[in-house]
Amino acid sequence: MIVTGDVLAIERANIDTDQIIPARHLTRLDDSGMGEHCFEGLPDGAALLASRPHAKILVTGENFGCGSSREHAAWALVQRGFRAVIAPSFARIFEENAYNNGLVPIALPQAVVDALAHAPRIEVDVRTEVLYPAGGAGIPFALDPLRKAFILGGGYLPFLAGKLDAVRAWEAAR
Amino acid sequence: MPPRSLFAKIWDAHVVEELPGGNALVFMDLVVAHEITTPPGALAIEKNFDDRLYDPRRIVAMIDHVAPAKDSATALQAQTVRTWAKRHGIVFHDIGDNGICHVIVPERGYVTPGMTVCCGDSHTCTLGAFGTFSLGIGSTAQAGAMLAGCLVLQRPKVMRVNVTGRLGNGATAKDLALTVIATIGFRGGTGHVLEYTGEAIDALTMEQRMTLCNMAIEAGATTGLIAADATTAAYLAETPLAPTGWRAEHADPGAVYDAEVTIDGSRIRPMVSWGTNPGECAPVDGAVPHDASAASLAYMDLRPGQLLAELTMDQAFIGSCTNARISDLRAAAEVFRGRRVSIPTIVTPGSQAVRRQAEREGLHDIFQDAGALWTHSSCGPCLGMSMGVLAPGMRCISSSNRNFPGRMGDGGRVHLAAPAVVAASAILGRIASPAELIREAVPA
Repeated sequence: MIVTGDVLAIERANIDTDQIIPARHLTRLDDSGMGEHCFEGLPDGAALLASRPHAKILVTGENFGCGSSREHAAWALVQRGFRAVIAPSFARIFEENAYNNGLVPIALPQAVVDALAHAPRIEVDVRTEVLYPAGGAGIPFALDPLRKAFILGGGYLPFLAGKLDAVRAWEAAR
Repeated sequence: MPPRSLFAKIWDAHVVEELPGGNALVFMDLVVAHEITTPPGALAIEKNFDDRLYDPRRIVAMIDHVAPAKDSATALQAQTVRTWAKRHGIVFHDIGDNGICHVIVPERGYVTPGMTVCCGDSHTCTLGAFGTFSLGIGSTAQAGAMLAGCLVLQRPKVMRVNVTGRLGNGATAKDLALTVIATIGFRGGTGHVLEYTGEAIDALTMEQRMTLCNMAIEAGATTGLIAADATTAAYLAETPLAPTGWRAEHADPGAVYDAEVTIDGSRIRPMVSWGTNPGECAPVDGAVPHDASAASLAYMDLRPGQLLAELTMDQAFIGSCTNARISDLRAAAEVFRGRRVSIPTIVTPGSQAVRRQAEREGLHDIFQDAGALWTHSSCGPCLGMSMGVLAPGMRCISSSNRNFPGRMGDGGRVHLAAPAVVAASAILGRIASPAELIREAVPA
């Protein structure tokens, strides 16, 4: 699986899920309708998105996705076209939500992220875990091997459904 | 076996299977389901997995965030959870019997020490106060726990937060929570469980422990955790379910932690946040720090060195899963008694049971005599959904947990504090400690 696309760089730490999708939009029954509200909680969110209308790769600061557990944040990013987020660190729940929605969370050192923020385009090879900024050398990264498998095929819920018998047996023997 | 932390004991007792990459399949004893984050997962299970749940008896559902519904969309969310719960025979707390999940679940006695609990809500860490491993997750992960009884989790590290001495000088669990975040940093707990120990923790009531654990997520932590003791047992015995048959686990002597921090509880003073994350806080009688981040200063319209007591407020809010239990309302009422608020003030109990108890004690009269609005239970304006959302530029002193930009409404500015500080600020119309009112009443 290879993701290639324009980069949107928002070089700020601690972009929380309220800024990615404000709570007033958490009123749907399913994951639909979130993309149009992506980054609505950032004062300059609309302008940032308009500056890179076809961006697929988000490059941003540390602790991305902190705060609320709302999976709506991952849905909003995916529906807006993002396929990977590159940051020095992620909040735990956001990172789990990203994997569960095919949004590749790539953690790299701050200096590497700073450099990638200047790349107009990046190619991400999810399978080999190497990314290539336009005109630059390959940069290896590391994904959670199990959750990477959720992205490459199958998904989280089918994986868990496959564990049902094992869980029932474990509980019976508890 | 080497000596283990309390967290390690609970974790080890719930691992169904070790998985690749440091992950584990972890059994969940209880799934808490509310109307905002449950429908997507419930509908996915209905559509793709024949509507089969692992064990409906391990789910508790309620109307929580927006109670009652504020519009057709939130009504549909509530109705979806309502019919789903009924169809599966899931225990359900509808409006009238509702509350914020992190208030209602413990007050009814649904949690006991040693349990694992998850919910599609980041403040599920609140329940760590009962010696449980409780964590917030996304809707898909919650669906997985409802479908197969488990979460896939990376085993977190454990940070021991040892709080020595006793809280004094008017400091509360909220001030301790803010101090912990300021000490370890807004993301300092990421990848860790915060295991709280020490004399100050032992002395906390259950409601105070819930306030402390509630804000573990604000340091990025997976959850907070406090060993059960006689205080826990006494609290649980008074709940409607009065659960029995649980056993209190403790960390082994000599347990090794991945990180340790010690805080002197006796030095903590009433705190208030000045910035845009809960770690950006200072004593109420303090000032905006000189090394404050430019972005936070700009959003909050502050300058370095500015005295916090100079900041005038446009609204006060006492509520949320952090500070809306009966002891919080009592603390606020003590400040409000015989005084009048000078700014719009909203008091929202954490559950309908808390509301009824407050009314039995006459607290509702104290709030309303002071000129505050006394509401039914809801998450309210804490997350900018209803009942007191801010307009751009409005400044609100709040007993809630997040001061993120726009959290309580686009452009709104939130200052976090304990209920008594919020009450004192509501009376004086600016950031104030209750001690100032006492000084005012008794001139030297």
